[in-house]
Amino acid sequence: MILLDYHNRIIEDTLKARFNPENKPKLVDMSIVDFDGVSYHISTLENQETKLLLSIRWKCWPELIQYGAESVLKREYSQWITQPEVGYDFSLLFDLENIGADPEDVIRKVSLLKRNAMAAPFERAFDAQALAEKEEQWDPTTSQLMTIHYREGESIFIQNQQDRVTVIFSTLFKEETDRIFGKVFLQEFVDARRKPHLQHAPQVIYSHREPPLEIRHLPGLEDSESMGYITFVLFPRHFVSGQVREETISRIQIFRDYLHYHIKCSKAYMHSRMRARVSDFLKVLNRAKPEHHAVEKKLASGRAFRRT
Amino acid sequence: MSNTLRPYLNAVRQTLTAAMCLENFSSQVAERHNKPEVEARASKEVLLNPLVISRNDKEKVLIETSVNSLRVSIAIKQADEIERILAHKFTRFLMQRAESFVILRRKPIEGYDISFLITNAHTEQMYKHKLVDFIIQFMEEVDKEISEMKLSLNARARIVSESYLSQFN
Amino acid sequence: MSRLAPVVIDNGTGFTKMGFAGNSDPSFIQPTVIATRDRGSAAKGPSVPSKPSFLNTSSSSNLASKRGIEDLDFYIGDEAVANSKTYALNYPIRHGQIDNWDHMERYWEQSIFKYLRCEPEDHYFLLTEPPLNAPENRENTAEIMFESFNIQGLYIAVQAVLALAASWTSNKVSEQSLTGTVIDSGDGVTHVIPVAEGYVIGSSIKSVPIAGRDLTSFVQNLLRERGESMIPAEDSMTVAQRIKEQYSYVCPDIVKEFKKYDQEGDKYFKKYDGVHSVTGQPYSVDVGFERFLAPEIFFNPEIASSDYLTPLPEVVDTVVQTSPIDVRRGLYKNIVLSGGSTMFENFGKRLQRDIKRIADARIRRSEILSGGSMRSTPMEVNVISHKFQRYAVWFGGSLLASTPEFYSYCHTKAEYDEIGPSICRHNRVFGTLG
Repeated sequence: MILLDYHNRIIEDTLKARFNPENKPKLVDMSIVDFDGVSYHISTLENQETKLLLSIRWKCWPELIQYGAESVLKREYSQWITQPEVGYDFSLLFDLENIGADPEDVIRKVSLLKRNAMAAPFERAFDAQALAEKEEQWDPTTSQLMTIHYREGESIFIQNQQDRVTVIFSTLFKEETDRIFGKVFLQEFVDARRKPHLQHAPQVIYSHREPPLEIRHLPGLEDSESMGYITFVLFPRHFVSGQVREETISRIQIFRDYLHYHIKCSKAYMHSRMRARVSDFLKVLNRAKPEHHAVEKKLASGRAFRRT
Repeated sequence: MSNTLRPYLNAVRQTLTAAMCLENFSSQVAERHNKPEVEARASKEVLLNPLVISRNDKEKVLIETSVNSLRVSIAIKQADEIERILAHKFTRFLMQRAESFVILRRKPIEGYDISFLITNAHTEQMYKHKLVDFIIQFMEEVDKEISEMKLSLNARARIVSESYLSQFN
Repeated sequence: MSRLAPVVIDNGTGFTKMGFAGNSDPSFIQPTVIATRDRGSAAKGPSVPSKPSFLNTSSSSNLASKRGIEDLDFYIGDEAVANSKTYALNYPIRHGQIDNWDHMERYWEQSIFKYLRCEPEDHYFLLTEPPLNAPENRENTAEIMFESFNIQGLYIAVQAVLALAASWTSNKVSEQSLTGTVIDSGDGVTHVIPVAEGYVIGSSIKSVPIAGRDLTSFVQNLLRERGESMIPAEDSMTVAQRIKEQYSYVCPDIVKEFKKYDQEGDKYFKKYDGVHSVTGQPYSVDVGFERFLAPEIFFNPEIASSDYLTPLPEVVDTVVQTSPIDVRRGLYKNIVLSGGSTMFENFGKRLQRDIKRIADARIRRSEILSGGSMRSTPMEVNVISHKFQRYAVWFGGSLLASTPEFYSYCHTKAEYDEIGPSICRHNRVFGTLG
């Protein structure tokens, strides 16, 4: 598995089981998580096992609402939106006896809940860019810099300009090894684009510790060795409406997890290399040990004699 | 590069072979104790002069000898940040498994990356020349392994970034 | 900031249960199997990622490092089984202990990122280990978890102790004690494990070579001998398994049960309806004596095998009797069931009755031997069944990890960085060691 999935597997599995009319309705109450500190709560209403409530909690939710998440969610989930459950930011309610649409489709949509919520600021920036492009005299001050503090100490910044949209990730490497591995990976992201077959990919700029120009004026940027900033420059060809746009949004969102996943996989790979190497070294060392042939000595009487 | 490697390893081999002349020796300080003198450092007269063989300012071997034990400490080549972290990871991984590497010291001597402690008990139970072989081979392989790991890390990073970015096509 | 729920993973020999603390069911239950692209040499140990160059001297030395990341080309669990035609299947856990660390590390990698979808840096983890696990194994686990995955904190719990904790939900349990006998019966093997105050009494553990798999093949044999020709050969194993799971129960007396079936068969004989997996044709199978005979092999092993003859109640009794005398009452009082093969109806009841019988007989004998001058209080025998029995170990883990104290039991990343893997040798729940 090189690429990560965009959808949440547990939600997919649970809904699939619940939506299947062959399965008897039963009490469900589970709390699960997703990447980036998202918590879900899936439960059936009290005394109503055919009513399934799915709630999400995310610390950057108010920011997402501010950037227009409401309309995106309405577009995707209109008929199921309900009053948010206590302690959560947003809830969907399903009547298992009457789902109201193609179940497959619903499952797919719902398992992308986190992605769709996060899509709002992206869509807003893309739309703003499209408008700006048409104007002859675009006023740069109208560009909006949206900040989403989606993880503890890590944020996404999205800014629209006349001809492009810039997405900046700030990421934190918790460990020395991660920081150095991360550097290697990010450098390759920057270099990879020079390859002829990747000319269409968005430009990637990586800076270590030093925040990029676009966000340098923002307060509260942590200054430490372990911070890294990755900038993606998206041109209109990356977000022409339809499939391409949706894919781009999903893909950019998952970037941070993709990076950290691969850093961890490399460490796992290093471990397996080292394990192999250790067993080889041991073989070499054991060659130094003379093999003992346990020769059974006999006494003159013929009885076995063992030295203790 | 390798034209200095051979004499370097040869020197280490010769020195080790000579130094591995160990004999059982009871402690002169505490009755009924028998400790590796190179570690205990209790009586000066049983210690020999330590010796450093260095290939360059980064790669060197410290060989400390005493009447009943011998300590070999190796500083591994670390050209950059990546090699430093890989060397550190690798040596720590090895030392974590010191139990099975009978001659491996659980902590390196300061200033070095990994140390071996060979006592007379080891030389009595094992072939001396094979022990020397092991250390020499270890030195050869460690460098090779670290640079291979570095290469593979870069290769991985390249594949990972390319497969991510190629999705945009 | 509210902490995210700890991750609970119970890696068993047959199946891995994983999910988040606080839930009553694991989110995923799948075979502990990993499908890799090992070139032929699957038989011998770990696939060496890149053969050390001094073994195959020349050019091919770092082929792997050139091609890069074929170590990411693998599947786990059900997907592994589905891909077994093109990949080689490996079972990283053998007899409860991790056998192949390379595979296990990758198994965890995918469990976390593909299935649970969580960033391990944000979570605490609770893993399980079999009784009598070597501390080195625990250190290796910690090394992987902290170094590869940077997890926040780790707690490794003994499976039997978790099963005990899971039984606290049963209303039969009056006090939350960590003393009891755990009967853990999964797919491969059945263990009887005495636990006193949270410590496993290692010397008294006994295992019984009868478990789910044996029951299934016993049912399969019965069906075959009776000539249920309707069952397609390739499905016979699954059919037997379904019948075992759906219809089996434990009877109080095997002779009377036979009589009951003979007299009013209609009431007891069931029908199993299946669909041929290839042709799609429906068929039906009569289910008769195997309903009660299958679980009976726990109590009368001689009906299924000729080499293992000790009934389970007797094994439990021996286990308790070989344990220290001061905990024996506690062990009889709290016999806890765990694992899928203990799920049969009335299994607990029958077991309790049989053990009680053995214990009472012993007391009576000693009273007689003492010439009537000694009286002892009757032995209290309790076998506890509860509704989380099937995944008792996982559930116990989920329960433990959702308590606020859990975080104080964990070994944290900071401690690991300070001291190293050896921190895992010490278990803080008991805290008697420094």
